[in-house]
Amino acid sequence: MRITVDRELCIGSGACEALLPDVFEVGDDGVVTVLRPEVDPDVADEVRDAVAQCPTGALALASEGDGPAG
Amino acid sequence: MTVDALPPASIDLDAVDLSDRDWWAGPPARRYATFARLREERPFAFYAEPEIPMLPSGPGYWAVTRYADVEAISSQPAVFCSGRGAVSIQDIPADLNEFYGSLISMDDPRHAKIRRIVSKTFTPRMLERTVDSVRAVVDDVLARARQTAAAQGGHVDVVADLAAPVPLRVICDMMGIPEEHRAMVLAHSTVILSGGDPELIEDQEQQLTVFLQAGMELAALMEALAAERLERPREDLTTALVTTDVDGERLSHQEIASFFILLLVAGNETTRNAISQGVLALAEHPEQRARWAGDPGLDRTAVEEVVRWASPVTWMRRTATRDGEVNGHRFAEGDKFLLLYGSANRDPAVFRDPEVFDLGRDPNPHVGFGARGPHFCLGAHLARREIAVTFRALLDQLPDLEVTAEPDRLHSSFVNGIKRLPARLTGVR
Ligand code: HEM
Ligand code: SF4
Repeated sequence: MRITVDRELCIGSGACEALLPDVFEVGDDGVVTVLRPEVDPDVADEVRDAVAQCPTGALALASEGDGPAG
Repeated sequence: MTVDALPPASIDLDAVDLSDRDWWAGPPARRYATFARLREERPFAFYAEPEIPMLPSGPGYWAVTRYADVEAISSQPAVFCSGRGAVSIQDIPADLNEFYGSLISMDDPRHAKIRRIVSKTFTPRMLERTVDSVRAVVDDVLARARQTAAAQGGHVDVVADLAAPVPLRVICDMMGIPEEHRAMVLAHSTVILSGGDPELIEDQEQQLTVFLQAGMELAALMEALAAERLERPREDLTTALVTTDVDGERLSHQEIASFFILLLVAGNETTRNAISQGVLALAEHPEQRARWAGDPGLDRTAVEEVVRWASPVTWMRRTATRDGEVNGHRFAEGDKFLLLYGSANRDPAVFRDPEVFDLGRDPNPHVGFGARGPHFCLGAHLARREIAVTFRALLDQLPDLEVTAEPDRLHSSFVNGIKRLPARLTGVR
């Protein structure tokens, strides 16, 4: 699974970063950067929480087969 | 002191007027019993607008009380906008709205742009640096409260001596506001968020004028500070704001002044009332107080429960940009909606035993910082930290704090406020 972010929607709230600072970081442009897009199974639950709690729905999980790039 | 829950059936819904400021200062039990009935029977209840001298009264508004409806409206900012006013029921002239509301009363694309300029100064990582300073502020405030108590036979006011100074000093420190201006900043931000409470704005006819005056003086202070930091940068938020740009665009000094007003009012009154309502809730639930005192591991969930319980911001407004339907409710372009967070936060469809104050509540998806959507509270991480540090210090350093009388509540529908909460430090003679 990969974490994807819609940069248009993200408001840089940092809610995801508060949960998983090793995975998300709001950068100097005020938008989140996903430091580790491949979901580490050890923190898969926290990643799901972060996706669910994002106030603007900017985060999503895509399984490996999704998308043109595969 | 105990809190008696009122049976919702005892409420006469037709006699309730949410536009009556005094109703909001009444017993919370009555308020929450009314919300329970509204959620059941009139999840979109229509009310006429309160009258404010010098402002035209509009068509009225829908009071939204169910969690699911608050979420649905909040998460569709294109249909339910903030730009026609988010913090007042009446429409306020556009320029004033922008001046006072800044971000909070803006829509995309402007909102997204400004929000990104400011968001990075409020991320968890940035705030990590402020933990020590929050702690220092809290320790100092508590030490002063002890001195005040010693000078007054043990008596203190939870609001003036504990809850108000913490967020004010934290935000003033972050912005770099000099000590000599802080009393003025507190006085003006109290006026702006008074909701017109007659004790705070004596001459009701002059409400709008007093309100404007307060804003002007804050703006003048901030504009001067912004200009100074541009010349002599420092390690503060003001400097970050004057020097940051997004896509080559910088905030104007006027925009910075507006944003500061928003930070002052949004960051002070809210956190202040979370703290004072939290102290009151702990006094009313001694078993929860003992539980929290004995278990620092409880901080995370306890802070969320304090915010859910207090719901310091009672509502935000949205306005329909077109005709439509939301969860079965039809609405027309221009319809106003008040999202009643305090009601959503006690909706049994989402919270088990919502009337129980449970510091271990988990999960706790409360909407005290706003529901889903682009306006979600910018200061949420900071507020959580301030509340956690304050309560830990209160429980450790002022274990003898005892609330001695009923709170004096703010007459306002907008902020679930307490003006005074008399208490004693029993260890002081
Ligand atoms: C317990 C304390 C607090 C509560 C309950 C609270 C609550 C809220 C609520 C309900 C909103 C509106 C959400 C919406 O319209 O959808 C909001 C927005 C906002 N809050 Fe807070 N807040 C608190 C503390 C703070 C602090 C400490 C700051 C800053 C220092 C702050 C700054 C803001 C700002 C700037 C916005 C507007 C964001 C935007 O429109 O993009 N708040 N807050
Ligand atoms: S929680 Fe959502 S809006 Fe907030 S920083 Fe993360 S992706 Fe952006």
